[in-house]
Amino acid sequence: MSDAPLPLVASDGGAAARERRERLRVLLRSPTFLVGAAIILFWVFCALFGEAVVPLDPYADDMMNYLMPPSAEHWFGTDQLGRDVFSRVIVGSRDILTVAPLATLISTLAGAALGLVMGYYRGWADEILSRVIDAMLALPTIVIALLALVALGTSTITVVLVIGFTFAPIIAKTVRAAVLAEREVEYVAAAELRRESGLYVMFIEILPNVAAPILVEATIRLGYAIFAVATLSFIGFGIQPPSPDWGLSISTNYGLLTGGYWWTVLFDSLAIASLVVAVNLVADAMQAALHD
Amino acid sequence: MLKVALRRFLLFVLTLWLLSIIVFLASHVLPGNVGRAMLGPFADPRAVDQLNHELGTDRPLLAQYADWLGGFVQGDMGDSFAMRQPVAPFVWNALGNSLRLALLALVLVVPLGILGGVLAALFVGRPLDRVITVGGLSAAVVPEFISGIVLILIFGVWLKWLPLSAAAPADAGLLVQIKYLLLPSIPLVLVLFGYIARMTRAGMIEALDSDYMRTAMLKGLKRSTAIRRHALRNALLPTISVVATQTVYLLGGLVAIEVLFHYRGIGSLIYTAAQKKDFPMLQAAVLVVGAVFILASLAADLIYAWLNPRIRLGGGE
Amino acid sequence: MKFDFKRLDLLRRGRSPIENHLIDGLVAGRIDRRSFLRHGSVLGLSLPFLGGVLGTVGMGTMPRAARAAVPGGVLRMAQTVPAATLDPMKIADGGGITTLSQVGEYLCFDMPNLTLAPQLAESWSPNKDGTVWTFKLRQGVKFHNGATMTADDVVATINRLADPANGSNALSAFSGVLSAGATRKIDDYTVEFTLDAPNGNFPYYLSSDNYNAVILPAKEGAEFEKNWIATGPYKYESYTPQVGAKFTRFDGYWGPKAIADRIEISYYNDIQPQILALQGGEVDLILQAPVLQSVALLNDPNIQILTGPSTAHEQVHMRVDMDPFKDARVRRAIALCLDRPALVNGMMKGKAAIGNDSPFAAVYPSTDQSVPQREKNIAEAKQLMEAAGMKDGFEVTLTTEDYLELPEYAVLIQNAVKQIGGKITLQVLDQGTYYGDAVPGKSPWLDSTMGITDYGHRGVPNVFLAAPLASTGTWNSAHFNNPTYDGLVASYIAALDLEAQRASASQIQKLLLEETPVLFSYFYDFVSATKVGLNGVIPTAMGQIRLDQASF
Repeated sequence: MSDAPLPLVASDGGAAARERRERLRVLLRSPTFLVGAAIILFWVFCALFGEAVVPLDPYADDMMNYLMPPSAEHWFGTDQLGRDVFSRVIVGSRDILTVAPLATLISTLAGAALGLVMGYYRGWADEILSRVIDAMLALPTIVIALLALVALGTSTITVVLVIGFTFAPIIAKTVRAAVLAEREVEYVAAAELRRESGLYVMFIEILPNVAAPILVEATIRLGYAIFAVATLSFIGFGIQPPSPDWGLSISTNYGLLTGGYWWTVLFDSLAIASLVVAVNLVADAMQAALHD
Repeated sequence: MLKVALRRFLLFVLTLWLLSIIVFLASHVLPGNVGRAMLGPFADPRAVDQLNHELGTDRPLLAQYADWLGGFVQGDMGDSFAMRQPVAPFVWNALGNSLRLALLALVLVVPLGILGGVLAALFVGRPLDRVITVGGLSAAVVPEFISGIVLILIFGVWLKWLPLSAAAPADAGLLVQIKYLLLPSIPLVLVLFGYIARMTRAGMIEALDSDYMRTAMLKGLKRSTAIRRHALRNALLPTISVVATQTVYLLGGLVAIEVLFHYRGIGSLIYTAAQKKDFPMLQAAVLVVGAVFILASLAADLIYAWLNPRIRLGGGE
Repeated sequence: MKFDFKRLDLLRRGRSPIENHLIDGLVAGRIDRRSFLRHGSVLGLSLPFLGGVLGTVGMGTMPRAARAAVPGGVLRMAQTVPAATLDPMKIADGGGITTLSQVGEYLCFDMPNLTLAPQLAESWSPNKDGTVWTFKLRQGVKFHNGATMTADDVVATINRLADPANGSNALSAFSGVLSAGATRKIDDYTVEFTLDAPNGNFPYYLSSDNYNAVILPAKEGAEFEKNWIATGPYKYESYTPQVGAKFTRFDGYWGPKAIADRIEISYYNDIQPQILALQGGEVDLILQAPVLQSVALLNDPNIQILTGPSTAHEQVHMRVDMDPFKDARVRRAIALCLDRPALVNGMMKGKAAIGNDSPFAAVYPSTDQSVPQREKNIAEAKQLMEAAGMKDGFEVTLTTEDYLELPEYAVLIQNAVKQIGGKITLQVLDQGTYYGDAVPGKSPWLDSTMGITDYGHRGVPNVFLAAPLASTGTWNSAHFNNPTYDGLVASYIAALDLEAQRASASQIQKLLLEETPVLFSYFYDFVSATKVGLNGVIPTAMGQIRLDQASF
């Protein structure tokens, strides 16, 4: 922040800070938020320390004991190579919890920058970008991702980039709308009177004031990023073997369902479901706190 | 009115053209060897060169784009690399299949979603409201293939009530077709229920609060009749826009569900074309999905304007 | 065992020295019954003759499947969507091969037990050094348009395949073996092939093994996709790309008429829906059911599994020109880490045969079975690593394609080499990326330090010996370069006589065990699945399927 004497903004900032604290208190008392956050923390813990706490090596094969149903020794049974499904589900959170948040980060950064430019400058730049974004939004996310991955080849990095840039236009639209509203507020005019550069006005003046909606939008996108990564892995364009990733495990094993080997897919499915629902609960609670 | 329609149409063409560039570039970004991809690694290099020449993939990119776009404008979608046949029949056939699945999903989800939304609005703030809104929202973010797998497990493998594949036998009647499509349509219902219920709920709460609702009640209409006549009609409007915006998802975003249930919709067409690097097929299918979406949002706008008296009065005459 | 030498002498009369040498081998016990049948069929000896010889040495006659079946009915088959067009000259995948095999036939047919049976040729024989082969054609064979097949049709078909201008897919098989114009008509029912180099296994190049070599009419053959005219027991009814194909019985067929009235093939994008369709009774059989994907079928009481030997396998190459594999001892040490019986019984559910790190699968008659099988031996592997100065292990990236059980196999190798301190990082690519442009410098398949590649079935090991291992081989991922090896392969390919082939094979097997540029740890069976009660199906490891004598 600049230390230029600007009483208007300073007092506003104090009020905003109080408001933020109040919102945080509402949020922390929301049961939806607490349940969601607890589940997310559990999976983050598994991603960080899973390998140290699981009962068996998730990668070790045991060719004499493949496709064993759940038992005292193997809580969730074993897979085609005799690997312990429970340990794999626990460790399997790592890749998706790396890829999805990274993709969300990229989409938030790119989307926020794009939205700021479009909302602040308006005019022809906004018009062209809006048209391109509309064209892209005419396609389902998964199709855009598929197109891009076919062109670039599948790897963890390309998946992060592709999902990041696929989601960026959606965030850009949200940010643009927020900036358009914010633009009319007097502090922007004041900054412009001081002949501050466009970059300064956008990133120093406007950005902090639209940070809350961006954060909420980013949380919602995180849920969809997990959705998208899991789906891509399921159709073979996402995380690649031999990762114990959930979507990938389901993709390898769902053909076994008709043979009755349900444990090779059910637990991975429940894990994905629990994670996306948890992220969604948190996003929902944040949205409620923002609007109340 | 005509001017507005013309503007919308020009915008439609512009968006479609931008889309064609995006799609074309995406499939030609890397100079991959199409002939090699078609014939496989063990084919003789002479055969590969021959094929590339026949397919025209050894020509400059701009010439290929001009050719493709020129054909497309005249209704010729080009020939599939893999099939060496026009792609159009494949695309239309897959689109038809997707429409069938989407239709069944909508037939199921629209009444359910509206019912859920109305109930939530009537019991706003109470547990039922929370269950419907939070539950609906949670169901909407669970990937369809996950709910699909759980459904396959329960109804296909354990109870054996429904077939595991969505592809009905060729000579199947309507009822049999519905039976085959039921299982894959439920995950879509789960995804869309939350959206529709939420929009209906918002519209309903607003409508219940509005002047004409109060007037209606004063006129002595029974509450249930008033809800049916006035509030519901207003709550339908946002539902239509949800349906329109979700068309693109229903008609192209179902890659995972179509793969899981082995259904030949447009999503799986895009998926296989992507796997095989069959660019003409990929481009045509993606462009058709985009066009359908743009048309659907256009249609939704018109229906919206027609249904909503306020817009009709304000915007029209 | 009682030998009938008198009858044997009668049978031997008028046979060539090579043929008699084969019989000598059988009598002396150097060649077993199976190898005798297989190699005899390559030399063009008829099955009744081979059966007769076996009878004289007390090894019984050929089993005959004589069942009375009521004609009629429809057989429904599931297969993967053909990847490309159905021009016999261009097909290269299972879907295309299976579909074509309903209408098309070859000069000879590689049976499920890997013996060559005469089909459109009645007999064949080489000259003394194996450079010229003469084929006698079957008389009275009718095409689906009613015309009679003659030498002109065969010459036109084969020359079309061998001509580089046509971009035929058979070019890679024919290169260095048969050139355009080298096929000549002698009379209406005799065709002569003059080879580029001696080749003792040439009939395989004209058999169903070289799946492009479907005999088509000279005139209409160039436009097969418009008319589908060939000689098979079924004729074309309809074909809808990506959906299916239908065929009806051809009443003018030269052999026993087909039992079922019609054949219907339905195409599927993947193996899973085929399995569901079979379990749901929508189809009667699946031709290719990869083990790992079809575990659900193995214990289904309504399904019968047909397995047959195949020489399809996964090659694990180690680049001999790059660290850490420059030292042959390191490559041998890695080979010693693998528990092959566990691979075959666990991962492959018993549907594979153990390999001995050379292309010589046990099913090839020329394979020297006396070469000791390599077995897991961690102590020896550790010694080798120490001797190579790599006691502390090594790090390497193993690249492979996402196909069949390859990712799983890669994981097992990764785990196995941990025992000698090997740290493998896995990189699994989609098939298109893995093969790239299929030329060095633009293909992870040919450039990676260590990789796993799937190789389909071949009736003779010639291609496996040359392309991936010879110094001039175009698929030499291991960058193996050994003049001794090249010489041995040349003499193996030229050898007409089974025992001469086996002598070269033995040396090749021992050399490859010593050098180990490529791991061949198993050869996987081909697995088909049918409804219980369907008999008479003849599938081949190459992807053809004969259904004309099949019925419930």
